Amino acid sequence: MGMNWIAKLAAKAPVPIFIARGNDAPDETDKLHLNPNLSIVDTPRAASILLVAGTIPHALTAHLHRLHDQLPHPRATIFWHSSPTDQLSSALGVTHGDDLGSFLLQTRAALLTGERASEADVLPDEPANVWRGVGPHGQGGKGMMGGTPYGRPMAMTDDDMRDGLKLDAYTADFGPFLTMLPSGMILKITLQGDLFQKVAVVSPPYEDARQGREIRTLLKLLGLPALANRLLIENAHCEAGFKRLVTLSGVRRAIPPDLGRTHDGSDVRSRFEHMLNDPSNPQNLHLMGLGLGDLLEGREWQEAMLILNSFDNTSLRKICANTPTDATDDMGDSSEQASGGHEGMDHSSHGGH
Amino acid sequence: MMIFVLAFGMLILFLTFGIWFAAVLDGVFSRRLSGQSAVGLLAPFHAAAVYLTQQRLRTEAPDQLNWFLSIAGYLSVAAIGLAVVPFGPDLAVIGLDTSVVFWGACESLIVVLIFLHGWSPNAPLSLIGAYRYVAIGLPIMLPSMFVLIAAAIPAQSLDLREIVASQETMWNVIRQPLGLPLFLLLGLSLTLRGPFDYADSEDLAGGTSAEDSGANRAGWQVARLAMLVGFSAVASTAFLGGYLGPVLPGFVWLVLKTLVVMATVIWLSHLLARMPVARMLGLIWKILLPISFLDLLWAGLVALA
Repeated sequence: MGMNWIAKLAAKAPVPIFIARGNDAPDETDKLHLNPNLSIVDTPRAASILLVAGTIPHALTAHLHRLHDQLPHPRATIFWHSSPTDQLSSALGVTHGDDLGSFLLQTRAALLTGERASEADVLPDEPANVWRGVGPHGQGGKGMMGGTPYGRPMAMTDDDMRDGLKLDAYTADFGPFLTMLPSGMILKITLQGDLFQKVAVVSPPYEDARQGREIRTLLKLLGLPALANRLLIENAHCEAGFKRLVTLSGVRRAIPPDLGRTHDGSDVRSRFEHMLNDPSNPQNLHLMGLGLGDLLEGREWQEAMLILNSFDNTSLRKICANTPTDATDDMGDSSEQASGGHEGMDHSSHGGH
Repeated sequence: MMIFVLAFGMLILFLTFGIWFAAVLDGVFSRRLSGQSAVGLLAPFHAAAVYLTQQRLRTEAPDQLNWFLSIAGYLSVAAIGLAVVPFGPDLAVIGLDTSVVFWGACESLIVVLIFLHGWSPNAPLSLIGAYRYVAIGLPIMLPSMFVLIAAAIPAQSLDLREIVASQETMWNVIRQPLGLPLFLLLGLSLTLRGPFDYADSEDLAGGTSAEDSGANRAGWQVARLAMLVGFSAVASTAFLGGYLGPVLPGFVWLVLKTLVVMATVIWLSHLLARMPVARMLGLIWKILLPISFLDLLWAGLVALA
């Protein structure tokens, strides 16, 4: 089948891929950012190919399928260093010997010509919360408050920790494939606006979730994605040019002082500095029962993401172990729990399309 | 009538060329900073084609009308910015005695449009991006109004055509040195770039555009670049003498100055770090706003002297 002119133009662009990391994602995964034929995107909505890097633990396969269904057609899934799940049996597999870059290009070309059919949804396209025709107005609400109007749990009143306005507490699950969270991590977060009010761990990050990616994620969260990618080049962090750019960007001053302070006095600024100068040497932090709630509650979204990514993986897993898990968490009635499971953000909600 | 058709044609040409050029510059700066080789001149067309081959996904129970209106409105406001800019003496698509006020009204409309864009998909991360932008978009507009009024003082007119004419002897960027830098910060905010991108940033996986796919995504990105062109043209008119300049035709001067402003904004957006919202709010209210008062005071004193 031939291509129309738009498809021909599109075939010349880098392949937009979204990466879902498994718990043994190959080391080369990050280097894909340097491949000029690929463009690694932050949301599945912008991707043509879902790249599953490493093995997705059994507990998270349902999340992978939900993520899969959020890619626009035409789409394909490629399992890299892992084998396709039963539901995604038509997906392609790539093993160690193959050149992933050219394989991705070929797959995209096949999608554009129609040689390869776009993958169908894995999950049924149905609302996660039944809302049509429910309630006095038929939009899922329960009168003034409560319910799931238009499929989203109603933001409810709750004590506010900042300005005293008791508004808009909204609980949802975030993760496990969000690019700003450590891979594998799912948090149940109660937000008021962009303020963290309560946080519980649904699933901790993988044991080898980041492989030293924390500093690059921090730079990205601080609006410097180009510098983050530069760190992928061998020994870039020692270069004088890189150091000058970091200073010029004002990134040190952009991080609020005392953010995410631990008992031994380290904060996001000092941990950022350490990772920047000595990336191969993890810091020894004394956490002493510090939990995620102590660190994140009362923080706004960007600050909270900076705090999460300022810890090395071992420390973060310890902090998660000190945090109440979702099962022991007593908030919300059963309907809120049920909605929190699917809702959340684009990566964990099956936004019907 | 002929004049209008001519000016309108120039506007379309300017906007199209500007969007393409901004996309290329953006790619060049970002890849240079990341230590990679430069991209081709046709890369923006290829990227747009990718979006156009993709399906436009619907989220659950979206506000379809406002989703469309936010993208179309953002693009339109960008075009209006360019339309109030005089391409030569008495050659503006919208020749208005109060064009500075008109542009100010457009600026505040942008906050509404960006909010709608985050509101429409009915999804949490988009909505967080939307109201976070409102928190920053409103206060950053205040310094912008003060520096624009300061620029209007020497001309004794709110008409951009008069403001250009008043810069024959000296450009506003020299007469009021604080004006342009403050206005550039507004530009970063209006175009959702770098240190002022609180709506579409990486910590929200794309924020208000996290749920955009297919043609919607292409449209929003084009509108952002168009806004950059419109803003740069207004900035070069208010502070860099617009179409004024020797030898070359006035329109060429305007285009050149616009490109310089555009390159500066893109460079700043890749260079400067983004701080958390609360810290930025403090910076705007406690430092940038007083500086913009100073700028206005300075302009007034110079006018009286």
